[in-house]
Amino acid sequence: MSFDPATVTAFIDGELDDLTARRIAREAESDPALAAEIARHRALKARLTAHFAPVAEEAVPERLRALLVDASVDTSLAGRREAKRARFSSIHWGAIAASLVLGLTLGLRPWLPAPDVTSANGTLVAAGSLARALDTQLASNQPADAAVRIGLSFRDKQGRTCRSFEGAAFSGIGCREDGRWALERALRGEGRRDYRQASSGALAADVAAMLAGDPFDAAAERAARDRGWSD
Amino acid sequence: MRFEEELVELLPRLRRFARGLAQSASDADDLCQAAIERALKSREQWQDGTRLDSWMYRITRNLWIDERRAAGRRGVHSPIDEAATQVAGDGAAEVEAGALRGDVDGAMARLPDEQREVVMLVLVEGYAYREAAEILEVPIGTVTSRLARGRETLMHLLGEAA
Repeated sequence: MSFDPATVTAFIDGELDDLTARRIAREAESDPALAAEIARHRALKARLTAHFAPVAEEAVPERLRALLVDASVDTSLAGRREAKRARFSSIHWGAIAASLVLGLTLGLRPWLPAPDVTSANGTLVAAGSLARALDTQLASNQPADAAVRIGLSFRDKQGRTCRSFEGAAFSGIGCREDGRWALERALRGEGRRDYRQASSGALAADVAAMLAGDPFDAAAERAARDRGWSD
Repeated sequence: MRFEEELVELLPRLRRFARGLAQSASDADDLCQAAIERALKSREQWQDGTRLDSWMYRITRNLWIDERRAAGRRGVHSPIDEAATQVAGDGAAEVEAGALRGDVDGAMARLPDEQREVVMLVLVEGYAYREAAEILEVPIGTVTSRLARGRETLMHLLGEAA
């Protein structure tokens, strides 16, 4: 065989110039070893292609399609302005924000937007749009431009139903208590564009520490919502 | 065509690529979701007239690598990577090769990440070496050498006749 292995595979991959490709094809007609090598590589490629082809034939899950079909807000001028503004504010907040992992037992949080948080019997609880998102929004089916994105829903070790969430202003975990969402964790958000990177890792670690069993899948999440998040 | 519409058209292929990287169907779709969200947020970085598919594949692949690294830092050691280091042709690997004859997923899972992504891009997704190199942001020579090692391992695991 007068062609090196890299040339043979380049032939299979359609990477050779026409002249070399013709030479190798012609030589394979009289060189059984070369012909076998080509056949072997063709077979591998065909096998991989056939194995993964069905994935591309599957119907795309709605949760993925919905991100794009409903996504119009982010394309707007307002959305871009907001993204710019968020980047600007992250210059001031970025370095500190990433390190501010706070248990909300401390009291004053001047940056928490008042409408989304209130206090009940000494506990901080979700209010306003945050409470609405926690009450109604499903992680498996939320608009791409949702102000608050729901992460995981799960049962914690105290038996409460909890949900992690991420928003531009702050992210955290709310747990269902007495018909309200008690805020167990809150992280200062970094602004819309980058908040996921800043908070996702820390939140995921908190969820893991609180979790009893597995997080809810889409069906369990929906069922829990339909029960009003109580048992 | 609108950015979102082009992305929707790309989704079936992107899911296939993600399935090859992440292996499990639900992990793959989570990866796709994260990639779409990132793309929507970063759309200003995409230059009109350049290929949206390459850009999306790069985002997807980079998110996946980030996830793998984060898992490594959390101490979640993938049995996959450990297995991959043992494929060098010792007795256990020979036994394994027999067991995996016919199991493409199992064989792919035993490839190191950097070989699996190249195998997916070139052999499954049909990208040219140069395009794969751009997506992965590595030299073409790196693509071809990783691809050669990946092919060798796959043939070994799947049996000579592949």
